[in-house]
Amino acid sequence: MEQYLNRGIKEIIGEFPETGRILDEFNIGCTACSVGTCLLKDIVEVHNLPYEEEHALMLRIGRVIYPGVEVEVPRIERKTQPASGAIKYSPPMKTLVDEHNVIKRLLALIPRLLEGLAVTREDDRQLVLGAVDFIRSYADRFHHAKEEDILFREFGEDLEIVKSMHEEHRIGRGHVKAVIEAVESGDTAAVKEHLTAYGELLTGHIRKEDEILYPWMDRNLSTAQVGELFRKFAETDERFRETASRQTEFIRSLEKQFTCEEVTNHV
Amino acid sequence: MFSGCPGSKTADFRTKEVQDDAPAGKVQSQLRQWPVQLHLVSPVAPYYEGADVLLTADCVAYALGSYHTDYLKGKSLAIACPKLDSGQEIYYEKIKSWIEDAKINTLTIMIMQVPCCSGLLKVAQKAANDASRKVPVKYTVVGIQGEILQEEWL
Repeated sequence: MEQYLNRGIKEIIGEFPETGRILDEFNIGCTACSVGTCLLKDIVEVHNLPYEEEHALMLRIGRVIYPGVEVEVPRIERKTQPASGAIKYSPPMKTLVDEHNVIKRLLALIPRLLEGLAVTREDDRQLVLGAVDFIRSYADRFHHAKEEDILFREFGEDLEIVKSMHEEHRIGRGHVKAVIEAVESGDTAAVKEHLTAYGELLTGHIRKEDEILYPWMDRNLSTAQVGELFRKFAETDERFRETASRQTEFIRSLEKQFTCEEVTNHV
Repeated sequence: MFSGCPGSKTADFRTKEVQDDAPAGKVQSQLRQWPVQLHLVSPVAPYYEGADVLLTADCVAYALGSYHTDYLKGKSLAIACPKLDSGQEIYYEKIKSWIEDAKINTLTIMIMQVPCCSGLLKVAQKAANDASRKVPVKYTVVGIQGEILQEEWL
């Protein structure tokens, strides 16, 4: 069993598909992950399952890997006790979650933004380019800068879970680049395809960070590290103050535009 | 039936079994400064500059066996009693000065579970809210038998 703890989860699911279904039952969504390079031991630790659930999960995975053998379940080392109740973030993590909430407001608007879209029309072109500008300046430069330049470095770039978050950022950037190219070539179908894919990717990515990654990071940060992150994030906020305020206003106006259109359409 | 202040209620733990599994040798003190009482310290003393500050209610260090190693280690300290200390207006000013002048990194408040202890948390919260500079503030509530009842960032 020990040897499988240090193997990538996608590799294990590939070899033993039943393990993916077991992880799903425990609300560990590795089967849907676009990267899947996290190690089995990290997944168990990161998800912070109560000890009894961890034991039950590992026992079932062990039985799939070694059918007919009574497997000895190893206890995964943890620095902290499993948490219970609602997630409580440290102040720097709370900042990132609040920024996610702004990004999610754009993601929620994507389906309506794409309805009847034709990038050959100037208004629609500008609408898509506005959304792209939000993604690039707020989600990527402002928010992801805090994650990539500050938070992830604090934990080390070699961690599989950090690598997989980087990879999802990279895939997201690829979709945004493809949207811009499609706008330039007047290819409405490609704009729809890549903006939809971006929305789906980011929705899952944010959920992973809010529910799994940030709570795990909080459990492993010292008080001094929390203070350092808070200070560095505040410096980033100061540097991007104008961008953050302009883009939050953009989201507000977009919400107003679509709400008004809906009201008009229903009258 | 006792109906007075829970902070003064008599409790006897002599029958509690105490596991004596501490490592051999003396436990090192993690105190890095003197004085420690909030009335006596200067908020801009060098040991507070950029520090992670621990503001502890007087009784905590007696109740919590691992106070030095798990909580005091690496931090700068002040202690106070929100029930018995007089002249507590200055506490608000000193906590605010830690944040604004000494530019501390974080503030952790440790209190006992008894209701009167929450006064220390309130004064620290008000000072942190009113300060022009912001720092992460955490609080820990310790039970009268040394258990950690709550630990949270504000």
